[in-house]
Amino acid sequence: MSDYTLNKLKTPRILYWGIFLFLGFLILLGLASSAYMEHEGHYVTGMNNQIVWGLPHIFAVTLIVIASGVLNIASMSSAFNKKLYKPLAPLSALFAIAFLIAGLIILVLDLGRPDRLIVAMTTYNFKSIFAWNIFLYSGFFVILAIYIWSMLDFNVSRFSSLIGKIAFGWRIILTTGTGSIFGFLVAREAYSTAVLAPLFIVMSLLYGTAVFYLLLRVISKLQSIDIPPEITTSIRRLMIIFLLANIYFLILYHITNLYISKQIAVESFILLNGGGYTTMFWLGQVGLGLVVPLSYEMTNGENRGFALTITSIMVLVGGFFAVAVIIIGGQAFPLNIFPDHIILESSFYDSVIHSYTPSIFEFGLGIGGTSLALIIILILITNLKFIPSKK
Amino acid sequence: MVTMHSVYAHDGNPHVSPGKSKADSQKACVEPTDVMRKEHYLFLLHQRDETVIDGIRTKNHSLANCVDCHVSYDEKGKAIPINSEGQFCQECHVKTATNITCFSCHAAEPRFPNHAKNISNGDIDEISAIAKRIEDE
Amino acid sequence: MNNRRNFLVKSASALTMTFIVPSLLSSNVQAKKPLDQKVSNKQSWGMHIDVDKCVDGCTACVDACNEENGLTGFGRPETDSQWIRKVKIKDKTTDKITTMPMMCQHCENPPCCDVCPTGASFKRVDGIVMVNQHTCIGCRYCMMACPFKARSFVHETLTTQNTNAPRGKGCVESCNLCVNKIDHGSKTTACEDACIKSGHNAITFGDLKDSNSKVRLAIDSNSPRRLRNDLNLNQKVFYSNI
Repeated sequence: MSDYTLNKLKTPRILYWGIFLFLGFLILLGLASSAYMEHEGHYVTGMNNQIVWGLPHIFAVTLIVIASGVLNIASMSSAFNKKLYKPLAPLSALFAIAFLIAGLIILVLDLGRPDRLIVAMTTYNFKSIFAWNIFLYSGFFVILAIYIWSMLDFNVSRFSSLIGKIAFGWRIILTTGTGSIFGFLVAREAYSTAVLAPLFIVMSLLYGTAVFYLLLRVISKLQSIDIPPEITTSIRRLMIIFLLANIYFLILYHITNLYISKQIAVESFILLNGGGYTTMFWLGQVGLGLVVPLSYEMTNGENRGFALTITSIMVLVGGFFAVAVIIIGGQAFPLNIFPDHIILESSFYDSVIHSYTPSIFEFGLGIGGTSLALIIILILITNLKFIPSKK
Repeated sequence: MVTMHSVYAHDGNPHVSPGKSKADSQKACVEPTDVMRKEHYLFLLHQRDETVIDGIRTKNHSLANCVDCHVSYDEKGKAIPINSEGQFCQECHVKTATNITCFSCHAAEPRFPNHAKNISNGDIDEISAIAKRIEDE
Repeated sequence: MNNRRNFLVKSASALTMTFIVPSLLSSNVQAKKPLDQKVSNKQSWGMHIDVDKCVDGCTACVDACNEENGLTGFGRPETDSQWIRKVKIKDKTTDKITTMPMMCQHCENPPCCDVCPTGASFKRVDGIVMVNQHTCIGCRYCMMACPFKARSFVHETLTTQNTNAPRGKGCVESCNLCVNKIDHGSKTTACEDACIKSGHNAITFGDLKDSNSKVRLAIDSNSPRRLRNDLNLNQKVFYSNI
């Protein structure tokens, strides 16, 4: 693919508008859900004083993790000089921007006071990982914008490799920051380990690659072209490596926790007797998200695009469960306020496993946000030249 | 912020909401009326940080005292929330199209909503009399 | 409740005459802080709870807190705010059953303040950990970070707030040691008042830096501990006889 040009998406207008209106409708539903939640207050959601972060945060964290991960393809080209991926690099950076915006919008719209966004942007507490993340996210956004520009404008293309390398470094820090949001919560037993940061990085690599392949496949269908077999082969290889890395870090994370004897209670909660959370962990995160796709890919031939599509979907569904297990599972297990005591009674649910049933509004907000990412991609690839084709 | 200095609800005119509050019997507010009209929000903003962060509880620029003095009472001597329609805060803020968010958290009624005479110069009878006189006029 | 607070304010001078001046003779207790002065680190507010004196089934402190701060609730226990709550625990080794109030422990190194992105969660120089609700954006990260589950998020529109306890939808809140009362010269919190009035005397509030304060006497004559001492948060709420 050394000789290629970048073009706009060429697809029948009716198809374009069909997708546009469908996504637009979902975005409106998301906005309506958010407006309702803000007007009524969060009691209409499934979240409460026990489970303080819920479905919107699962969506947001997943999307932000994906945002960092889809840049993988561009990084392969710029940081690791893989020529194969160079034509796809602008698309990869565009996806990253779109998913980052979507994730952040969901986070903001779930705040108790989204009207005070300006406070969040102007008043910082530099001890807070959250505040650092605001810088990391906005910095990532700027770097990506410059990166795309450098790839699309021939006049500044000599900088694109350098900016690509900066973007690569930044995204590693960014995902570390996202993982650290949970990693630094000393009192939450499921979280208090530094292994969460590298775990988030390998998760981002895996989910990002899966999303990239799926979107690439959708675009090639819209454009009526085929994905070159060498791309499929290469992405498949990446996917297998990332699946293995995920399994490794997941085992490391749980072994670390099992080794610390005071963490054994929360570990057995997630791994053995946590009811729905245990099911989500084994069937969703481990089974559907890691083991099944890995064995499916291992037993399949190399160039099978269809198989890779199935794998990507499984990985993403499993990934959604993985984030859910981390966010909800970690909160559902009651805090260990009295290590030497059993809590018999409390009006504030101190002794019970908390349950969480998301409301339709949280789901609407999450779907609306995800649709926002897709509509941004749709609009930009239709109006700017992002899609490579052979000369 | 920019429009704050150019838009007033009632330039130069005395206050138009019914004179059933303690404030209406006073000659001036804690600062000259002109200053209060233009800059009351700055005083409140300044005081809010001093109070919350440093524990300064002086009364002059305290929102609670604004409410205590400026709130109107109905004929039974019961306080009318100061952010309800036509009341002291709400009236001007509607005219100037500026949103007041104070009362989403702060009480819009005086500290003693059922004990008007504790904070008013006069007693309930006197307030009712004022109310009646205004209605007659 | 408001009447009592106002009474305290208005009769501050009377208080000085009757209570503070006599104690000045025997110790270095300071007179109440003038309203126009900043709080200082010369004081460090804290609390001692003698668990043995706390009575199972008594909710005087909880009721008093709810009244003082206008925590009416909406009959939805999972989302309604609780600044103070009663818990009943059993020792894993000795099977001793105890009951006690739990509230914000007012850490010296509060995790809630570390994680707050805007700095709305802060520690006043006199040691009170509280939320500046003018800058709280409602992200709930502090609730994730608090080891004691001390914080509540306001899930619904409120209309009947007390003047002395502003609170509203979309912000996080928690026990602030009756900061408004304290700043106006009160020497007690609502929960301590109620506990004394109920005759149990389990809660003692006061200035930890004043070696003659009742809270110091309580701490020095018992051997209290902090909850989750392993976290090294140096809370200012102490528990005896757990």
